[in-house]
Amino acid sequence: MTTVLLVEDDPDIRRFLRSTLAAEGYRVVESPTANRGAIDAGTHKPDLAIVDLALPDYDGRELIREIRRWSSMPIVVLSARHQERTKIEALDAGADDYITKPFGVGELLARVRAALRHAARSPAGEMLVLGPAQVDLQKRRAWRDGAEVRLTPIEFRLLAHLAKHLGMVVTHRQLLAEVWGPSYVEQTHYLRIYMKQLRDKLEADPMRPRHFLTETGIGYRLVMDEET
Amino acid sequence: MRIVGWTGYAWALGATAACTVTGLAMRGRFDLVNIAMVYLLAVVIVALAYSRGPAIVATVLAVATFDWLFVPPQGAFTVEDAQYLLTFAIMLAVGLIISRLKRNVRVQARAQAKLEAAAQTERVRSTLLASISHDLRTPLAVMTGASSTLAERGERLSAEEREALARSIYEQAREMSERVAKLLQMTRLEVGGIALERDWASLAEIAAAVLSRLRERLTGHRVVLELVEDLPLVRVDAALIDQVLANLLENAARYTPPGTVVRLRARREAQELVVSVEDFGPGLPPGDIERVFAKFEHGAAEARGGGMGLGLAICRAIVGLHGGRIWAEKLPLGGSAFRFTVPLDEPPAPPSEPALA
Repeated sequence: MTTVLLVEDDPDIRRFLRSTLAAEGYRVVESPTANRGAIDAGTHKPDLAIVDLALPDYDGRELIREIRRWSSMPIVVLSARHQERTKIEALDAGADDYITKPFGVGELLARVRAALRHAARSPAGEMLVLGPAQVDLQKRRAWRDGAEVRLTPIEFRLLAHLAKHLGMVVTHRQLLAEVWGPSYVEQTHYLRIYMKQLRDKLEADPMRPRHFLTETGIGYRLVMDEET
Repeated sequence: MRIVGWTGYAWALGATAACTVTGLAMRGRFDLVNIAMVYLLAVVIVALAYSRGPAIVATVLAVATFDWLFVPPQGAFTVEDAQYLLTFAIMLAVGLIISRLKRNVRVQARAQAKLEAAAQTERVRSTLLASISHDLRTPLAVMTGASSTLAERGERLSAEEREALARSIYEQAREMSERVAKLLQMTRLEVGGIALERDWASLAEIAAAVLSRLRERLTGHRVVLELVEDLPLVRVDAALIDQVLANLLENAARYTPPGTVVRLRARREAQELVVSVEDFGPGLPPGDIERVFAKFEHGAAEARGGGMGLGLAICRAIVGLHGGRIWAEKLPLGGSAFRFTVPLDEPPAPPSEPALA
């Protein structure tokens, strides 16, 4: 049975999340504080954690960093609207995805399923299917409508890093540090230029991308067909 | 003390010079007292038009030239007849009194303006309260009623009825949270609590993200994207520009009949990017087009349940923060266009990578 750790201080939000997740067949462990959450994460060995960022004892971002020291379990954060900075910090601290309050059940379950799928996936060992395009991450080759597409080394590195977090959000800072190096984390325009190139080469309609998705003000998310 | 520009002093000098010319023309035919009156007129005019400094300068200049040129003995500052000392004193007094009076009037006008601004704020506040109480209490009433029915009478209802009630609670709650978010955003923008997080962004990317997020709300309309290929990058707070586009597109969907086209366009024009959302609906209300950007200003469809009239006011505040302009236009063939500009910065140095062979 899949166990979900729910770190949230508001009892009403906990209640509705508990019934929703339980109805989907997940076992739910509830922690009302960050302290409790850190302990429960160790003792219950959950498959996924949902962490509210505004916790009474200490910051949710701190808890994420703590969990990341010993576990790679997927972490989805709950955050308020218009708080891009907080979301980015939580993602940079190691969270995989976020949901903005208020949210509907459909959105929540989609995020939870995508995060669990991401955790279960063997990295880099498979073919990416992106609409009309296919990418072989191991052989570093890409095709579109059957014809091979040449990707530059940087385009490929960017694609590979997004694919490593398939279905999850990767922040600008993470992508820049990973693809160009730690001294390039401010050069957001590199990403704009290279994401456009990737979309032009691999998306069916680059103006309305279905795989290389923009998380405005935060980062990017690569999704496969099954996830759109 | 306020620093006065040099124009007041220039006028003081010019007025005295003009009086001197007039005085010289009058000499011999008029009494000296009348010539003194001409100088007094100059002092009065300068005191009325400018502050105390120029008034005093005008008085001193007038007294000095009058004394030097007209009062015997001419060509000297000595005064034979003591009565002219009184003339000088009166001129100085008149200059000072008038500039003093003028200052009082200005202070009063300022106080009056402040009072009016306070009254205006009060009016806005009460409109706000009226608007909140109507726009938020209606959905609250629906939610309270529907949820109490579910909680207390749920077992007597059919499954379909239960689902319909739950759905209406969900929809009203979602609508209300939109409204509260807009209200908070407007407040934040007004008190200046928003610092722009500027970064290089692509308008095409922001637009695509907005369209995908609003897919459900735009399903009834045909959305046409007309973005010039290779639009320059802009240095903006992408999350805020996203809100501007979303508000404009939502409005277009709300105020135009289903099935019509909504066109999102962007092109470069000199040193700015011009972004437009055009629709082919009934067009803007007659009268002052600018009014649609005021807070709590509603379109005609509002009676059927829409927003709070904050969307465009938020757009205007965000575009303003970016140093751009936003305006509405009636389109020649019917429908309306909302356009905004974003100033273009010097483009950043592109990354270098050898091209593929």
